Amino acid sequence: MAEQAQLLPGTLDLLILKAASLGPLHGYGILLRIEQITRGALLAEQGALYPALSRLEHQGLLDSEWGTSDNNRRAKFYRLTPTGRKRLREETQSWNRLANAIGAALSAKTQEG
Amino acid sequence: MFPRLRSLWRHWRNRSESEQEMDEEMRFHLEARIEDFVRGGVSREEACRRARIEFGSTENYKVDVRHARRVTWLEDFLLDLSFGFRTMRRAPGFAGIAILTMALGIGANTAMFSIINGVLLRPLPYPDSQQLVMSFLADASGASGKSSYGVADYLTTRDNQQSFSHFAAIALGRNSFTYIGGSEPQRVRGTGVTGEFFAALGVAPLLGRTFDPSCDRPGRPREVVLSYRFWQGQFGGDRNVAGRAVLLDDERYTVVGVMPPDFHFGPNDSDEVWPVLQLAQRGARPPYWIAPIGRLKPGVKAEQATADVSRIAEMERRVFPNSSYDRAVLLPMKTFLVGDARLALLTLQVAVLLVLLIGIVNVANLQIARAASRERELAIRSALGAGRGRLIRQLLTESVLLATMGGTAGVLLAQWGVRLAVRLAPEALPRMAEIRLDTRVLWVAGAMSVLSGILFGLAPVLRELGEISGKGLGSKGAGAGQPARRHRLLGALVVAEFSLSVVLLAGAGLLVRSFGRLLAAPPGFSPQHLITMQLSLPSTRYPEEPQVVEFYRQLLERLESIPGVQSAGISMSLPPNLLAMENPFRTANEPLIPGKQSHLAEEMTISPGYFRTLGVPLVSGRFFVEADRARSDQILIINQRMAEEYFPNQDAVGQRVQTGDADARAPWETIVGVVGNVKYQGLDAKPEPTLYVPYFENGWGAWSREMFLIVRSRASEAAVMPAVREAIWSMDRQIPIASVRSMDALIEDSVGRPRFRTLLLGLFAALSLTLAAAGIYGVLSYSVLQRTSEFGIRMALGARSGDIFRMVLGRGASLALLGVAIGIPGAVGFSRLMASLLFGITPGDPLTFAGVTVLLAIVALCACYIPAKRATRVDPIEALRYE
Repeated sequence: MAEQAQLLPGTLDLLILKAASLGPLHGYGILLRIEQITRGALLAEQGALYPALSRLEHQGLLDSEWGTSDNNRRAKFYRLTPTGRKRLREETQSWNRLANAIGAALSAKTQEG
Repeated sequence: MFPRLRSLWRHWRNRSESEQEMDEEMRFHLEARIEDFVRGGVSREEACRRARIEFGSTENYKVDVRHARRVTWLEDFLLDLSFGFRTMRRAPGFAGIAILTMALGIGANTAMFSIINGVLLRPLPYPDSQQLVMSFLADASGASGKSSYGVADYLTTRDNQQSFSHFAAIALGRNSFTYIGGSEPQRVRGTGVTGEFFAALGVAPLLGRTFDPSCDRPGRPREVVLSYRFWQGQFGGDRNVAGRAVLLDDERYTVVGVMPPDFHFGPNDSDEVWPVLQLAQRGARPPYWIAPIGRLKPGVKAEQATADVSRIAEMERRVFPNSSYDRAVLLPMKTFLVGDARLALLTLQVAVLLVLLIGIVNVANLQIARAASRERELAIRSALGAGRGRLIRQLLTESVLLATMGGTAGVLLAQWGVRLAVRLAPEALPRMAEIRLDTRVLWVAGAMSVLSGILFGLAPVLRELGEISGKGLGSKGAGAGQPARRHRLLGALVVAEFSLSVVLLAGAGLLVRSFGRLLAAPPGFSPQHLITMQLSLPSTRYPEEPQVVEFYRQLLERLESIPGVQSAGISMSLPPNLLAMENPFRTANEPLIPGKQSHLAEEMTISPGYFRTLGVPLVSGRFFVEADRARSDQILIINQRMAEEYFPNQDAVGQRVQTGDADARAPWETIVGVVGNVKYQGLDAKPEPTLYVPYFENGWGAWSREMFLIVRSRASEAAVMPAVREAIWSMDRQIPIASVRSMDALIEDSVGRPRFRTLLLGLFAALSLTLAAAGIYGVLSYSVLQRTSEFGIRMALGARSGDIFRMVLGRGASLALLGVAIGIPGAVGFSRLMASLLFGITPGDPLTFAGVTVLLAIVALCACYIPAKRATRVDPIEALRYE
């Protein structure tokens, strides 16, 4: 457990959008999906998910709807809105640019060293 | 923006629902996690523990979720608002008093402003009304003031002017007509106007047409335009009224149109008919009795137009070299109609603003006193992380909420008050019918409410800021140290209240005393037991002078034989303010200078019994007698004022006078008597020279068609009037008996405007006095409460209750007196502003100022009495235990 990485600050929103882009999920489902796609990266506290969900919904990036979960319980399902999809694309691109730039910077340093 | 708002809306509409959903969502998460753990082989208890640790504090995240949904300031505002409502419910007494105070203050201001708006600010209800001007004659020296036009001047100006697109005139001084149509003849109100009148005003009729512009030429068929009210009342709203004939003063007029219901004109906007005024050129410049109304051509400046009309007046002066007017002045029509109401209205508005300020100070006082009990609440909020700005916003929101609720109530109050005023005193102001709460008034009321809220909310905020930051939770609320500063602030507010009250009370005191003097001003006769009415003999049935004279002779005889009638008389003018005519005169001692305006005197025809009926004293000489009918020369009675000024140190009786425009050939009239001064131009006017002529004198009978009839009787009006009517109608069934009023009522009417403003300012002053008393009472009560332990210690140390009593009372009195002292310069300034509204009293009247100071001191002492008494009842043991 101690081996698992913590999420970078500011990346939670992006990961939520990514998770929701694969199909409607309830909050807990999103958590599991994030754990899965990040190969186990952890939120410091799982509760932090909910303010983030609320914020994204409030910004119109997510839409929510009450439905029934796998174990037949009422749960709130989140789905990516078209705006959310657009935002995810933009954020992904800018993240990739940043990651490449940082990667390039770090490798350049290695060569010099 | 849109999804945000939608989310906000959903959030607000289903606040409890969304809370529930949030709970459910988090619970679902936890339970699903626990189940996953259990499935992985962990005991349920351990699973619960781990799930909770992983999740963190649900309560904290709920706060974050709520926060995430929030639209910052708007939502904060709504939260503050609902918090404000809750705070209000917790302290309903405070809220009630604050709302009531604001309702009174803003209500009075809104009412006053709606009056100012309707009378002074709003343009006249005619299109492009700023283009409308009225013209008056003047002379270069300015000595004789503004004069109305005569026919010659008007006709010449109409035909030669180049500045106006329309030039019309109205007849002044003749505001009613005998209308024969119903069961008995009646007087209807109306103004004679020339052909272009309606075209100049630019108002279209509701029905039919307005005048044919040439119908004011002599000999053309006479046309009349009806008011909506008259049309409804007399013709039942008949749409085919055009073409019907109407008899006014025995002349036949053809109805051509009906004006819309919102068109008003005439004295107090009360005209019912507008018969056309036909003017024929005549060989003299006077009399001056018409007022031209012109509509300036677009682009023509007032100065150009003034030069234009002045040029024509100069032309006329050359045609009639004996006259003196050689120029003309223009006045905006609104200025003419509003007249002298402006100053009184502005004074009242200043007064009512002061009342509002006192109200604001009072509520600020209450807020500060109450802030003590809210200290802990604010400290807790501050400790929980509410920033300063956030707290200020909350406090201000609460204040503005209170003020707005008060303001709303105030607007309703004003609406009601204005309607009441318009109904009770429709003639108290010009344009009264146009007063209403329009959008501009509502905007001002709204702005006033918000501003008031901010002002009285600011006091506690300023004070709070200093304190929240430092101390807070630890303080016990009733602590002893910091109230010193609060007391200083409260003291300052009380001082402010009293200084504002002085201003108002001094103003009201001056008006009340001035009004008292006005009522006590000797009218020059004894007004009790007099009944007055107006008769008018149509020139169609009484064309010749002897017929008019004979009618009155017989009538007076019949009236004086009625049992209960002591005497009866007739006159062209009636005191206290119904003067019909002024005339220039020259005594035999003065040289005749053509073109120089001589002195003006009030002149009127009277019957011999007039002075006896009114009770005017004879100073020297004699009254007119029946035997004077036989005289061929002309005789006069003058008043004491004229005798003193023009015949000093000699007997006026036997002296001779010429009247009318300077003319050497005019007949000489001999003075046969001098009587006491009678006021014909209002109780507040100085006595003017007055000339009395017997109604039966040659040449005057034609002037006597419209006369006031005065009857002196010990019996009541109801008992005498049937016999009086019978006597009149026994001579002529078709004589209308108009304006039957007792002389007392006429005097009442004549002081209607000063009474109106005295009443209003008195009301405002009383309001301010009550507020100031409540303010000082509240502050002292609070300070006594705060100082309970101090009093306990003092008494434990041997202070007697008398000492404590004097201490508290002394503090109250010194605050009040300091306020009065500060306020007096303001009061002096305010009374200067209203100087011209005062009669018989100087603005700085020391007696009034002293009286006001004493009154305020007494009120302050009374208001301080209860708290001071309470302070003496402090039980030392109890008080110290309290600490």
